[in-house]
Amino acid sequence: MIDFLQVVVDAASLGSLYALLALAIGLLFGIMRLVNFAQGDYITLGAYALILPSGDAVATMLVGSWPWPAMVLTVVVVCVIAALLTERLVFRPLRRADSETLLIASFAVSFLIQNVVLVVYGGRPKSAGILDGLTESVTLFGNLRVAGVELVTLAAVAVLSVGLVLFLQYTSLGVQMRAVAEDFRMAQLLGVRGNRVVAIAFGISGLIGGITSVLIVAQTGVLDYRMGVLVIVYAFFATVVGGMGSLIGAALGGFVIGSLSVFLQAYLPVDMRPFRDAFLFTIVIAILLLRPQGLIVPRGARERV
Amino acid sequence: MSMLGKSRVFAATICLLTFGLAAAGAEDKPPIKIGFASAQSGFMAAYDIPSTNAALLAIEQLNEKGGLLGRKIEPVLRDMKTDAALSAKVGAELAADGVDLIVTTSDYDLGGPAALAAKEKGVIAFAPGAADPKMGVQGVGWQTFTANGAAQVEGIIMAEWAFKKKGFKTAYVLQDDLLEYNKSGCAGFRAAWTKLAGEQGIVGRDNFMNSDPSIAVQISRIKSTKPAPDAIYMCTLPPGGASAVRQIRAAGIQTPILANVGMTDDYWISATPDLSNFYNPTMMSIFGDDPSPKVQEFAAAYTKKYGTRVPQAYASVGYLVIQAWSTAVKRAGTTDAKAVVAELEKFKDEDLLLGPTTFNPELHIQTHRPLLVMEVQDGKHHSVERYRNEMIPDMDLLFRVGKYQ
Repeated sequence: MIDFLQVVVDAASLGSLYALLALAIGLLFGIMRLVNFAQGDYITLGAYALILPSGDAVATMLVGSWPWPAMVLTVVVVCVIAALLTERLVFRPLRRADSETLLIASFAVSFLIQNVVLVVYGGRPKSAGILDGLTESVTLFGNLRVAGVELVTLAAVAVLSVGLVLFLQYTSLGVQMRAVAEDFRMAQLLGVRGNRVVAIAFGISGLIGGITSVLIVAQTGVLDYRMGVLVIVYAFFATVVGGMGSLIGAALGGFVIGSLSVFLQAYLPVDMRPFRDAFLFTIVIAILLLRPQGLIVPRGARERV
Repeated sequence: MSMLGKSRVFAATICLLTFGLAAAGAEDKPPIKIGFASAQSGFMAAYDIPSTNAALLAIEQLNEKGGLLGRKIEPVLRDMKTDAALSAKVGAELAADGVDLIVTTSDYDLGGPAALAAKEKGVIAFAPGAADPKMGVQGVGWQTFTANGAAQVEGIIMAEWAFKKKGFKTAYVLQDDLLEYNKSGCAGFRAAWTKLAGEQGIVGRDNFMNSDPSIAVQISRIKSTKPAPDAIYMCTLPPGGASAVRQIRAAGIQTPILANVGMTDDYWISATPDLSNFYNPTMMSIFGDDPSPKVQEFAAAYTKKYGTRVPQAYASVGYLVIQAWSTAVKRAGTTDAKAVVAELEKFKDEDLLLGPTTFNPELHIQTHRPLLVMEVQDGKHHSVERYRNEMIPDMDLLFRVGKYQ
């Protein structure tokens, strides 16, 4: 029997990863009603920057062999550039389009990035062991075990979610961002440089993507051209469960989804565990039936729908 | 010139003429065409290109010896782009072009449609790496074969080898639910392990999804298993398999890990650079230390032709496809599908590249061919020995029905 407290620790660690992913999705949705599925692919691009572009089976390290501060910074920069480019080339021209069009456009960007990675690096998964020391487990309170990278993820979620909330609440740029979120045209008329503000929001989502990218590769040690898409789906559900448009809601949703997944894995009978995700999404549907608006409703979203 | 001299010149002229005519006849004969409905792009390309290259090497070697039945062999390559619908289309086009054999992509799900299209025209389809017996009589049809062994055998070989040669008595089974291939590997392992070590020999079972970013809770369960297992068996493949190995070792679990062919080769090893006590079965060693001289010869020829080491163990089954089919064609004296299938089904421990190969009217997949056990110590792969399974999977196990569901 697994120690219950250990399961709680495992739940928090997976939850923190989903929370981090959900923060980026939640931020862009809050500001421009865009569910950006390409967010996962920024993570993929950042991860692939670690190795030399080549179709060879055995990957050769590029950025991955640099000292860690330079490596983390470069991966983050790659993700930020990817986010800014997609904003400038795809989402800015579609500014007046409805959210369905934006959603489809984000799928297109996602598909494009995956195929570029496929062409440049080939379809075989690659491996890149980075920050090996960070992956090692540490022991807490005598017998609870947690991987170092999971503690860092938890810290990153705490810093980023609190930081973002404070940024939106108390800085001039944050206030402008919220104004743009309320009414893009009106904000522009009042002198807010809307395009710049939206670009900054994309930049922040790229920053979060870069940090997530490093943490995922440190945890798993592997790269795959679909690596971002496979996790971003969970982040999307986390954002919906938490409340679309609320940052704290998105982070909370991430913890809910991650914890549910871990608890189901821990306590379902062995023959039912392969259906873990079916149970998980049934519970998600049940939560949404009870609270269609999500767990936390942002003030701005109340009169919508 | 004497009379004798004249007759000699005449005889020589006749000889030359006859020889010349015969040679011209071989050149004039239409070539035998082998169609490749394999992936040259998309994610399967990484797996298909090396096995297609190995098959092309086999064709080149046959052509150097005068071809097959006095006819040259001409490969026809079509890209199925890792797409099931395109697989069917490319298969149908090749069959309509009158090819004598279609080599499909390695995977059953993606290669099946091409094989089915081949069946429509009565053309033999051969998958290099499919590990599912449905790529054969019971699935696609009478003219479909795979050069690979059944996934169950991978599990059985690992179980028997670890039990007998390493003396392990208890095992923990960790199943990756991504592919049926993985589940078949674990089913084979469980069947063989319980036969050898009894029901209590399996001290724990769990599963994960290949895309899970964290298997922390699965690791917690392994850690809380009492008594601790002698070995962990994993039926998986990268990227998820490599990620799981990294996380297990990072959590301080140094228990020997046994795996399936899905974890073959070293392209994933940098996820756990100093990995030790890891064992997996495979077709061949790509590290230059394969104990089989035949495989060594194949690897050398591959390197000579393509300038690289054999990129993956799966390349060898591409070579074996051509070897098996051409052997049957020679015996049948024709490329007619029915006659060639009849010859293939007579293969009993046929001595091919990867060892004794058998087909019969019930099974077009290997259930009793040895696999090479590989060992990883300090991040380096070494070949150990070719091991042949004692337990041969029955039909229930091969199709995972009855008690093996």
